[in-house]
Amino acid sequence: MEDQDYILFENYLLGDLSKEDSDTFENRLESDSKFKESFNTYKELSTFLENKFENEAASTTFQNNLKNISKIYFEKQEAPKKVVRFKPWQYVMAASIALLIGITVFNNLSKPVYSDYANYNDISLTVRGEQDALMHTAENAFNIKDFAKAEEAIKSLMVLDKDNAELKFYSAVANIELNNYDTAETMLISLKNGQSAYKNKAIWYLALSNLKQKEYDECLEILRTIPEDADDYNKAQKLIKKLD
Amino acid sequence: MSEKKIHEDQKYIDGLLKNNSFIIQAIYDKFVPKVINYIKQNSGDADRAQDVVQDTLITIYNQASEKKLELTCPFDAYFFLLCKRKWLNELKKSSLKEVTINEEVLYKDDDAQELAFETSLFGEKQALFTEMFQKLGTACKELLSATFKIKSMEEVASSLGVSYAYARKKKSLCIGKLTELVHESPKFNQLNY
Repeated sequence: MEDQDYILFENYLLGDLSKEDSDTFENRLESDSKFKESFNTYKELSTFLENKFENEAASTTFQNNLKNISKIYFEKQEAPKKVVRFKPWQYVMAASIALLIGITVFNNLSKPVYSDYANYNDISLTVRGEQDALMHTAENAFNIKDFAKAEEAIKSLMVLDKDNAELKFYSAVANIELNNYDTAETMLISLKNGQSAYKNKAIWYLALSNLKQKEYDECLEILRTIPEDADDYNKAQKLIKKLD
Repeated sequence: MSEKKIHEDQKYIDGLLKNNSFIIQAIYDKFVPKVINYIKQNSGDADRAQDVVQDTLITIYNQASEKKLELTCPFDAYFFLLCKRKWLNELKKSSLKEVTINEEVLYKDDDAQELAFETSLFGEKQALFTEMFQKLGTACKELLSATFKIKSMEEVASSLGVSYAYARKKKSLCIGKLTELVHESPKFNQLNY
């Protein structure tokens, strides 16, 4: 390209050409591929330079920040794993700790525990009447395992609806969780003797309440009374085998 | 080009552009481990991965600041493809090394392929332009730097002690010189494949 062509590029880009010159210029772009290629690069370079110098400060700030974050990230990745050499007495200590852990684990395995069996799902209380807000409080508290709050809300609900088996059942479960076994068991026994849908569930949880208190004999006795058509029959049988 | 929906991951691009440390950190935590893995599996190490990731993020930043980068695919795919491309180019450069490419992660996403291609082309051009700019004479470098920093050509002319017409003509000729340097570079032809 001639010097003249570059001056023309600049004038065209700045919009300084007359309509006529501009048309001539565009026609040449169409017909002369070398001219067009040069113009395209010229235009790209102008944009590049404009951005380079205008955003120099912002770009430098960005790059410094990036390098910093990158450095910290990769240092963390490559943090050398410490090789600790044991001295003989440390082996003895490590072995004793391992043994202790072993015993604890074994002990836990040997007896089933309440939390393995008490797997009630999130509750969703049936809405009756206008105690919606309280109902939600009870539900939410129960589902996030804030049993004290749940129990309080259920108690208030039961003032209005004292024979509601559903409420009574969940109140009992909350009380087992809170270790208020007497309260829980009184409610469970009344459910067990009633005819509600929670009859069999109540027996199962009565057994679990005893399991939680490590009253294994009583637990066994109650488990054996769970009828075959109960939802929890199979679980109960397995628990009987483990306890026997 | 047809109107495409901008992906929600545009937030990463915008975050980079705003130099938002929180976003940059998130990019490292979420997307970088995969890149490190890939590079390590393909004749590289963590140090090389660090450079590739950093350069790639700078290229994305530059493209976003110069051209308005609009993401129409997940950032994950776009970013990974870019890093991968950059790494393969580096391997090609140091061809002494035996190159074993482990092609496990493939993206079928066309948008990601297209965008990653655009961005890496942009990055290669930027590198070429920067290299060629350094080859210009001092007079041209100073004039161009002044021209783009100080918006008014009159001010540029007076600061350099030349006439307005001369400054403007000189600007065209300097960019013209740069255009020639770029075209003469063997790298330029490799760009337009």
